[in-house]
Amino acid sequence: MSKPTDLVQGTLDLLILKTIALEPMHGWAIAQRIRRVSNNVLQVNQGALYPALHRLEQQAWIQAKWGESENNRRAKYYSLTKAGQKYLRAEETNWERLSSAIGLVLKTV
Amino acid sequence: MRWLQSISNRLRSLFRRDTVEQEIGSELHFHIERQVEENILAGMNPQEARRAASREFGGVEQVKEECRDTRRANYLENLLKDVRYGFRMLRKSPSFTFFAVAVLALGIAANSAIFSIADAILVRPLPYRDANRLVMIWEDSSAYGFPKDTPAPGNFSDWKSRNQVFEDVAAISDGSFNLTGSGNPENLIGKWATANLFSVLGVSPALGRDFRPEDDVPGAPAVALLSHGLWLRRFGGDPRIVGKEILLNNEKCTVIGVMKRGAQFPDRETDLWVPSRFTTAQLANRRNHFLEVVARLKPRVSLGTANANLATIASQLEKENPDSNAKVGAFAVPLREELAGDVRPAIFMLLGAVCFVLLIACANVANLLLSRATGRRREMAMRIALGATRARVIQQMLTESILLSIFAGVAGLLFSIWGTKFLATLIPTGIAAMTGTGVDGRVLLFTLAISLATGIVFGIIPASRVSQFQLAHSLKQGGGRSGVGSGGHRLRDALVISEVALAIVLLTGAALMIRSLENLYHLDPGFRADHVLVMRTPLPRQKYEAFAARAAFYEQVLERVEGLPGVVAAGYTTWVPLTNAGGATGITIEGKPEPAPADVLVPNIRIISRDYTRALRMKLMEGRLFESRDAAGTLPVALINQTMARNYWTGEDPAGKRFKVGGYSEKSPWLTVIGVVGDVHQAGLAVPARAEMYLPYQQEDLGFEPEYLAVRTAGDPMALGEIVRQQIWAVDKEQPVAGMMPLEDLVDENLASRKMQASLLSGFAGLALLLVTLGIYAVLSFAVTQRTQEIGVRVALGAQPGDVLRMIFSQGFRLFLMGAALGLAAAFVLSRALVHLLFGVSAYDPASFAGVTILLAAVALLACYVPARRATRVDPLIALRYE
Repeated sequence: MSKPTDLVQGTLDLLILKTIALEPMHGWAIAQRIRRVSNNVLQVNQGALYPALHRLEQQAWIQAKWGESENNRRAKYYSLTKAGQKYLRAEETNWERLSSAIGLVLKTV
Repeated sequence: MRWLQSISNRLRSLFRRDTVEQEIGSELHFHIERQVEENILAGMNPQEARRAASREFGGVEQVKEECRDTRRANYLENLLKDVRYGFRMLRKSPSFTFFAVAVLALGIAANSAIFSIADAILVRPLPYRDANRLVMIWEDSSAYGFPKDTPAPGNFSDWKSRNQVFEDVAAISDGSFNLTGSGNPENLIGKWATANLFSVLGVSPALGRDFRPEDDVPGAPAVALLSHGLWLRRFGGDPRIVGKEILLNNEKCTVIGVMKRGAQFPDRETDLWVPSRFTTAQLANRRNHFLEVVARLKPRVSLGTANANLATIASQLEKENPDSNAKVGAFAVPLREELAGDVRPAIFMLLGAVCFVLLIACANVANLLLSRATGRRREMAMRIALGATRARVIQQMLTESILLSIFAGVAGLLFSIWGTKFLATLIPTGIAAMTGTGVDGRVLLFTLAISLATGIVFGIIPASRVSQFQLAHSLKQGGGRSGVGSGGHRLRDALVISEVALAIVLLTGAALMIRSLENLYHLDPGFRADHVLVMRTPLPRQKYEAFAARAAFYEQVLERVEGLPGVVAAGYTTWVPLTNAGGATGITIEGKPEPAPADVLVPNIRIISRDYTRALRMKLMEGRLFESRDAAGTLPVALINQTMARNYWTGEDPAGKRFKVGGYSEKSPWLTVIGVVGDVHQAGLAVPARAEMYLPYQQEDLGFEPEYLAVRTAGDPMALGEIVRQQIWAVDKEQPVAGMMPLEDLVDENLASRKMQASLLSGFAGLALLLVTLGIYAVLSFAVTQRTQEIGVRVALGAQPGDVLRMIFSQGFRLFLMGAALGLAAAFVLSRALVHLLFGVSAYDPASFAGVTILLAAVALLACYVPARRATRVDPLIALRYE
């Protein structure tokens, strides 16, 4: 975890959940989207992305379905489960509390 | 719902491994292809685009492996891993594994063996339809000394016609059937049965047909149903037996069927059933009580309702027939309970005992695991440091202990299969044939269940302790010694204390049982069973209709037998001791007012030949025994027992007093008491004697036939068996001779189940004692190892070996004292459960309690001694350098 752009596990989970909350996406698109939305700051490494996806699926926060991709290939599309939506909301709240707390500390000290 | 989804995902990963693997491959392949496309769009040539995409992606195989790993983090996979690891750990310390498995296997074997017996007696289904609705009905003649009397036909008929609670009621009575014709004459144990017997029981014959009502009327052609056993034994399983004629008591009788195997009512001795063919007069008889009555409850009628109904009918009958039915009640007992008989309390006692043994075994192994756990602290600390959760560590430790207990369960099951054979004598004959014995699915399931439970019970304490280790503390400490902390001490102490307590309870129970058995053996039953051969020669009615013919048979047989070399004395009797609890008749004492029917005196009656009392070495207390002059036509005489003398002629000398069988108006002669003999325990060694009279067979025909021949021999009684039989056949070559055995066998049989109970309980108590010794020893030697340094310091500072010895002893003995106090208190409460199994000893017998405590104390001292001695040999120099 040396590079600052590397993502801590919990954070990556949150980003993935948030990203696919809009629409079902396959792995490549998820990585692209996170990079694009973060203005190339957050580079998601494949070696972290896929295990994370599989773990989230195993835990049934997200579900996967094979579908047709934009280039007419079979791709694995991930979407949130009901439980995943709830989990995402809870995690978002957590994150906001945490980041504003860190922000407070950084400002005042 | 999430967990359901999650489980299905996990299962999919586990069992559809190939599909999942393929999916991971194509998912990653897609990613790379997509990136290649993107790169080409950005202007690279295809080769370059592919290379860039691959470079960016990194190691495909690593990513795959990681995906697999996340999917694999799975309880089942963990379990398999733990099992494999557990196996390795157990293999690494074979002596620990062997000891733990052996200790537990003994405990489990004891449990599953006793369970299989309990199962056969209490649980296994009887071979009858809806057997839980079957009951036996008895007369309650407590007022006459027979609280559970065989009903009279008159009462049976009225119960049958008046009740509102039974679907149907059937009756059987003892029959003796001499089978002649082909082969040796044989006396069969048969039952006279009402035609509805098997329809009440709900079982139909394996071959042929059941009885029909028309078989069961006076004068109907004689028919018989054979038991499966007789059919195989005597008729070679002849499939065409149905319709054949056999000669029973010199009467031609058609075999109409063969009963199902196991359907052996009332017990496995029964050879055949023949319709009772009661006449109307017989069915109205309320004087002779000789039936066994079985009934089927209507659906949804409870035992309580049935008993209330029976009580109502009994009180009606009491009013209607004051002569015969005064103070005669009626009650029903579930068939199962009836068949299980008095073994039930013993079975529950033994189940309790084996449970205690298993608990002690668990405590022992838990203790061992605790000491092992200290050795494995670093391993566990390492695991926790590397991210294993507490639950994960507990799971792994429990897997190991359950592995142990499953090994033990398998070993225990093998032991118990062997043991059940030996225990089968505990199963009453009434039930053994029906349910069978041995290991069945239920026993297997039970063994599996207790094995798992055992593993959890002894594993959970050490496992939860290990997982509580303070990480840093454990890692810092050296690997070798030091304990689990003071909490660990307390835990081990508590385990040893409870072991001692459990052992005290078991030992006390065993001591009480052994003392009871000893009392029974030393009890004077009123006769000497050694060197006595007994056999039965029931005379067929048709052939020996005349009193004179019977008398002549007895006379000739006795004369011939007495003349044999090696015979000391020989006598006939209606029943030798331990074969019939009853056989009683009402009497009137001369000079006393005719009693109300409810107050009639009903002593036991035994019709004997002159030398029967001498053959059994009964004691003459007063007067004289029978002599040759007490023959037909002389003064009618009687011998009475001490109880009869004491109760009927209280404060008087009974010699020369007269009484007669029946009331004043009866035509029977007055009998003069010529002597008093010692009480004979007829109904069982542990059962006190009733009032009893003995009359010479020649003087009066009272309807009781002497059929037991007792021969006192100089040498081995069985050695004379064949010779005696030949003498009987010399008198009547068609006369069967049945049940030849030494009288001692009857005594042994009477004590067999008690003996078995006492020896089992002692065996279990012995096992407990051994385990407790090991337990105390293990704890103390562990403590000595731990305190080596401390002891070294003490010795260096001048402590004498005696001081060290005292210190260790007091540590061990403190545990013993606490356990003993607890155990004695528990034994005091629990021994009450044994009351029904004891004889001549109080459940609070101080000698047993004290003896057990002293024995255990001695053993505890011994267990303390070895570690204490080791402590005195601690060399302070080495001890202080230690660590």
